[in-house]
Amino acid sequence: MNGLVAIAAAIAVFTGVGAGIGIGIATSKAAEGVSRQPEAAGQIRGITLLGAVLAEATAIYGLFIAILLYLKLG
Amino acid sequence: MSDLNTELNHAMLPHEMFSIPVPFTDYKIPVTDTVVVTWIIMAVIILFAYIFTKKLSMVPQGKQNFAEVVVELVNNLVKDAVGHHWRLFAPYLGTVLLFLIVSNIVSIFNIIPNGEQLHKLTHMEIFEHFPNFALRPPTKDINVTACLAIMSILLVVIGGIRVKRLSGWLKHFLHPIPVMLPFNILDYVIKPLSLCLRLFGNILAAFIIMELIYMAFPPVVPAAFSIYFDLFDGLLQAYIFVFLTSLYVGEVVE
Repeated sequence: MNGLVAIAAAIAVFTGVGAGIGIGIATSKAAEGVSRQPEAAGQIRGITLLGAVLAEATAIYGLFIAILLYLKLG
Repeated sequence: MSDLNTELNHAMLPHEMFSIPVPFTDYKIPVTDTVVVTWIIMAVIILFAYIFTKKLSMVPQGKQNFAEVVVELVNNLVKDAVGHHWRLFAPYLGTVLLFLIVSNIVSIFNIIPNGEQLHKLTHMEIFEHFPNFALRPPTKDINVTACLAIMSILLVVIGGIRVKRLSGWLKHFLHPIPVMLPFNILDYVIKPLSLCLRLFGNILAAFIIMELIYMAFPPVVPAAFSIYFDLFDGLLQAYIFVFLTSLYVGEVVE
């Protein structure tokens, strides 16, 4: 039973893959935007941060589920 | 394996240090180490606030310069996100920012060895009964972050009603089209939930990773990782919490 819970927690943490890809895309587009229009750097920084944070939230939910599995069932 | 498991569990979960009896009843209020660390942080912030704002003058000099830079930083951050009515929200958001900055990076000041370590080191009997206390970030306890998130959403509601009056505030639920009503109501549940879980998850994840590194290889290596996981991540998450709260406020107030 313990082993199965560990595997379930590991699968839940896989949500990090999506967040990683999302933050990568957001940052690459931000770098492109700044190199094209350096004067808009301030605004772009705020938007990038917001996008990265929202993308990261999915990974955090995965982590949260994993921790709950580990604490309540493991 | 099970040794590591129990040690990690012990570090991860808040544990009760002592309890305050309620007069005339049998009930006792448990005080966890999270609360004690929060008290210490509050004392430090109040002390610094007192020292830095003593003897204020029109022409700033010395430590007053630093205090003014901090206040200016918070004001600009709030002004960018909230707009016209920033003056109403800057004090609260600045307070939360200061508290989160100190509480997220507090584990780098954790230099006092706890009772167990002292007992191992010196083999003296007295240390065995010392309370097992370490400066761990209070934001790794979900109760603290849930509290902060609820306070943030209350700020959004009260600020919205204060600025737009009750009728104007109620109207914004139907904002783009009336069909959006359920989603706008749902917003007030999802926003605090995601704020709470984001801060909690990030700090706890960084804390667990640091704890594993301490167990795996105690000398030198944790110092390098600590710069990223404790300092950088902690400061970033404190900034993000305040940034998102001010964004939510700005959304309603503008």
